[in-house]
Amino acid sequence: MGASIIDVLVEYWPIFLKGTIGTLKYAFIAVSLGTILGAFIALARLSKNKILRDVSGVFVTVIRGTPLLVQMYIFYYFLPMAFPVLNKIDKVYTVLMSLILNSSAYVAEIIRGGINSVDPGQTEAARSLGMTAKHTMTKIILPQAVKNILPALANEYIAMIKETSMAGSFMLYELMYTRTILANKFLVWQPLFIIAGIYLVLTMVLSTGVRWMERRFSVSD
Amino acid sequence: MIDKDVIMIETKDLKKSFGGLEVLKGISEVVYKGEVVSVIGPSGGGKSTFLRCLNLLEEPTGGEVYFEGEKLDPKSTNLDLHRQKIGMVFQQFNVFPHMTVLNNVTVAPILEKGLSKEEAEKRAMDLLKTVGLEDKANEYPRKLSGGQKQRLAIVRAMAMDPDVMLFDEPTSALDPEMVKGVLEVIQHLVETGMTCVIVTHEMGFARKVSDRVLFIDGGIVVESGTPDELFDHPQNPRTQEFLSQVL
Repeated sequence: MGASIIDVLVEYWPIFLKGTIGTLKYAFIAVSLGTILGAFIALARLSKNKILRDVSGVFVTVIRGTPLLVQMYIFYYFLPMAFPVLNKIDKVYTVLMSLILNSSAYVAEIIRGGINSVDPGQTEAARSLGMTAKHTMTKIILPQAVKNILPALANEYIAMIKETSMAGSFMLYELMYTRTILANKFLVWQPLFIIAGIYLVLTMVLSTGVRWMERRFSVSD
Repeated sequence: MIDKDVIMIETKDLKKSFGGLEVLKGISEVVYKGEVVSVIGPSGGGKSTFLRCLNLLEEPTGGEVYFEGEKLDPKSTNLDLHRQKIGMVFQQFNVFPHMTVLNNVTVAPILEKGLSKEEAEKRAMDLLKTVGLEDKANEYPRKLSGGQKQRLAIVRAMAMDPDVMLFDEPTSALDPEMVKGVLEVIQHLVETGMTCVIVTHEMGFARKVSDRVLFIDGGIVVESGTPDELFDHPQNPRTQEFLSQVL
């Protein structure tokens, strides 16, 4: 069996810390850039333009209907083959791009759901006052949708924390990548439990935060 | 006073279908400046759809709507400008829950008419006073009763300085004790000479304030006339039957 879990944690904690920071960082980048992209996709999904609606619909269906791991392989191996210019940039970025794109599809559905959850009477009232479509969206609908969107976005961040674990297979320095490092030092099973424990603590703490946020929002109803 | 020289709203063979269901089967009506028209009829007869077509909240599937002589076109950006002149009050109030009472009233004038915040707030406060809501200006709508919400909705529409007001069953969602206050506000508006189209189930009120009453059923105007004509001497059997059930 070799060293105990405690021994490994005491000796290699800087590696786990770096991995944890990497996980939080990559999940944050994926979700925040995914949110910006996802907002545009959501607007396209809700657009009156049929082409925009269809294209964004297909995108969301394909991304959500295929495994993230497959998407990562495509970004890691296929895209640099198809577009050699991508060989010039660090592989980290191509994998990160797949995370962002994946997140954007889920966020688009979150935003679309949040917008659709606002009573249509609000749009009617705003438009009947002569408010433009843009003002109706930015001043009336989105401020009300945010209350539904924010907790769901936070949950997406929590889900993404777990999903970035796949990026470790592509040399991104995140929590799961520490397993690869320590396996080279013949530590096979101890890091797995440490990693699992760290994921669990992260998701539990953040979930508690989301529940608190949901309670705060429901008070304002 | 009705000014028969000025047509405020005109519909020509107005039709509306939802899927395969034809809700309006061709309505041609004229509303003159200063006229108060009440629309009565059974639920599902098309009266609310008719009203919602007047500002193109519902896009007609046939026929035309003219407002102050101009054809309303759903594709035109002018539609927003026309709608500023057509106030609308909804059954479910549709006040903006994320804004204070005052901001509910000022948001559209500031954004769409370019009023300064001070000017818009001054006018909003004057309007809120007329409906007894001035002390609620900084509250959020959730603190208001149904009647107060509806009075707020009326003031919000009035803040755009409209030429005509559309009321879609404005008291149907209210507790009985709230109805009177809202009807008083509408009556006050009528007395200022505002052109109004009112879809309502309040027959007594329709009789009191209207210049003309339309009875809409089955997607057509079955009968129209002055309140006395329509309520006391209905000609059409369907009108007679409807009135015998509600009066």
